[in-house]
Amino acid sequence: MADAARVAGLRGRLAARVPERRHVVVTAMPVTAFLVLLAALAVASPALLETGSLLTLADSAAPLTVLAAGATVVVLCGGIDLSVAALASLASVLLASWVPALSGAAVPAVVAACAVAGAVQGLVHVAFRIPSFVVTLGGMTLWSAVALLASGAATVPMPDSTPTDWAFTRLGGLVPSAVLVALATVVALAALMRFTPLGRWVRAIGHAEPAARLAGLPIARVKVIAFALSGATAGLAGALLVARTFSGAPTLADSLLLPAVAAIVVGGTAITGGHGALWRTLVGAGIVTLLRVGLSYAGVDAAYESILYGVLIVGAVALTIDRSKLSIVK
Amino acid sequence: MTADRLQTYGPTAALLALAAVFAVLSPQFRTLGNLQNLLDAGAVLAVVTIGATYVLLLGCIDLSAAGVMGACALAVSLLVANSRTALDLGPLGVLLVVALGAAFGCLSGALSVGLKVPSFMTTLGVSAIGLGVATVLFAGVQPAVSDPWLLQWASGRWLGFTRVTYLAAAVVVLAWLVQRHTRLGRYATAIGGGEDILRLSGIQVGRYKVGAFTVAGACYGLAAAMVTAQLGSGIVQAGAGLSFAAITAAVVGGTQLAGGRGGIAHSMVGVLILTVLANGLVLIGVSPYVQRAVQGVIVVVAVGATLWPLRHRLEVVK
Repeated sequence: MADAARVAGLRGRLAARVPERRHVVVTAMPVTAFLVLLAALAVASPALLETGSLLTLADSAAPLTVLAAGATVVVLCGGIDLSVAALASLASVLLASWVPALSGAAVPAVVAACAVAGAVQGLVHVAFRIPSFVVTLGGMTLWSAVALLASGAATVPMPDSTPTDWAFTRLGGLVPSAVLVALATVVALAALMRFTPLGRWVRAIGHAEPAARLAGLPIARVKVIAFALSGATAGLAGALLVARTFSGAPTLADSLLLPAVAAIVVGGTAITGGHGALWRTLVGAGIVTLLRVGLSYAGVDAAYESILYGVLIVGAVALTIDRSKLSIVK
Repeated sequence: MTADRLQTYGPTAALLALAAVFAVLSPQFRTLGNLQNLLDAGAVLAVVTIGATYVLLLGCIDLSAAGVMGACALAVSLLVANSRTALDLGPLGVLLVVALGAAFGCLSGALSVGLKVPSFMTTLGVSAIGLGVATVLFAGVQPAVSDPWLLQWASGRWLGFTRVTYLAAAVVVLAWLVQRHTRLGRYATAIGGGEDILRLSGIQVGRYKVGAFTVAGACYGLAAAMVTAQLGSGIVQAGAGLSFAAITAAVVGGTQLAGGRGGIAHSMVGVLILTVLANGLVLIGVSPYVQRAVQGVIVVVAVGATLWPLRHRLEVVK
């Protein structure tokens, strides 16, 4: 009797260890990949490890990191936001056109407007029960059309760049301010997820929405908040881009959609929701940036970049996806 | 029952109403010449939408048209007589490109089924791969097509319509027959209706899914050849925006996003609605950017409307 009980206990412990091993792999892999890439690049070109070039590298990753950070919250809920890049483009146009009237207040105004745009998508998603990728695909088309209309399909120059100078300067002549903005965004969102109930609710919804519903969580409100956060960071990413190009353009950020999705999934956040974290997106953005830089160091034509993103997205999703939730894959 | 009938006849009624409104608002809309323009303009979208419809019937989604068409447009312009390569394969080149499209579709399907990854993710990835292949083939120099046979597709007219339009019509009929009378078509609808039941009946669901994606890819390949004939050169953006337009057309016409309902006939009504809308809005002087915005809203409204009767059954929507 006692033996049988011990065997059953052992079996139970073994069964419990299997998801843990998966957890370790998913946690360790992105960090390992990042370090291996960094080491490989350093061997190929030792100058890369100097502080200056590392900071430049981080600077170039900043807008992507900010863009992907908010979208991560939506993915943790089990949804996806395909509109972030188009929304960031719209934000750049709005910012460049609002700066003359609002000056310093233009950036917060644009971020707020984008948060509202995100919240509207979230509302449509929960109120009409339309899958998030359809709502945000529609949103992507809508926002880019609005950006084209508002700008007359042309680049909108900034008459005065002082209101956005803070986002493209080097503190102490060394540290790019955009890197600090990106880190602050990730830390702020991570803190929101860690120290408020929102984080637990988001994860609960991502893991098991029916259970979360039965537990009485405010599902609709949490999802709308997630989409609003995603919209807000898209607006901030747009502002970072305006700061470095001194202008807004209706397609300025459009090419960032694939890298942003890649950064989220390569970091190890599962597209099925629940599993993942904001620091993973930070690592993912690092991996995507290092790969891009690495390709050009290796003398590979920039044309192959898009192929790389495609392979990365499919490969990372396949590795991180939680198949226990998908009896039927659509 | 009423909701059912609304979904079957609603799109056709909407099409007739739209056409009536534009006919009243714009005298130019009522002309025969405009009807020819309209059908010529809708030909490419029709072929892309056929491909998207097969995938939608499964309950899957295909966002790869933009990338696959980019790669195929570059490939076809390099395979027929052109300004960059010495190749002059003519019709064989078009066939090869349709096969290339089918291979991309097969890749999307195999990745979805084999790795159990949701199709919108695999097709987003395959689209990126296609765009990359297109950019590599483009290599900074736009290939101009000089093959008279391919160029004739868009310039030669029979009874006022271009050959591209006849080709699209033939593909529509063929696709409808395949959907109605072959195992691939019947099973695609059945998989969308209840994949688990089909699996329990011992049907190789995965194989038919990959088949449907492959057919979709072949359609994108052909559509890319049609676009290239119309433009006279191969460009990376040959399919820009068409993934989304095709899904919009299919859903507006009554093919359900959740799968199992609708089909080629429904989707073609949707293509006509979008084409009439685009044509009519231009004729009454509305900016093309407003049209894009309208398309973005329409797809959300159409999906919302088809899901509305089911909303109590849909506990979890991701």
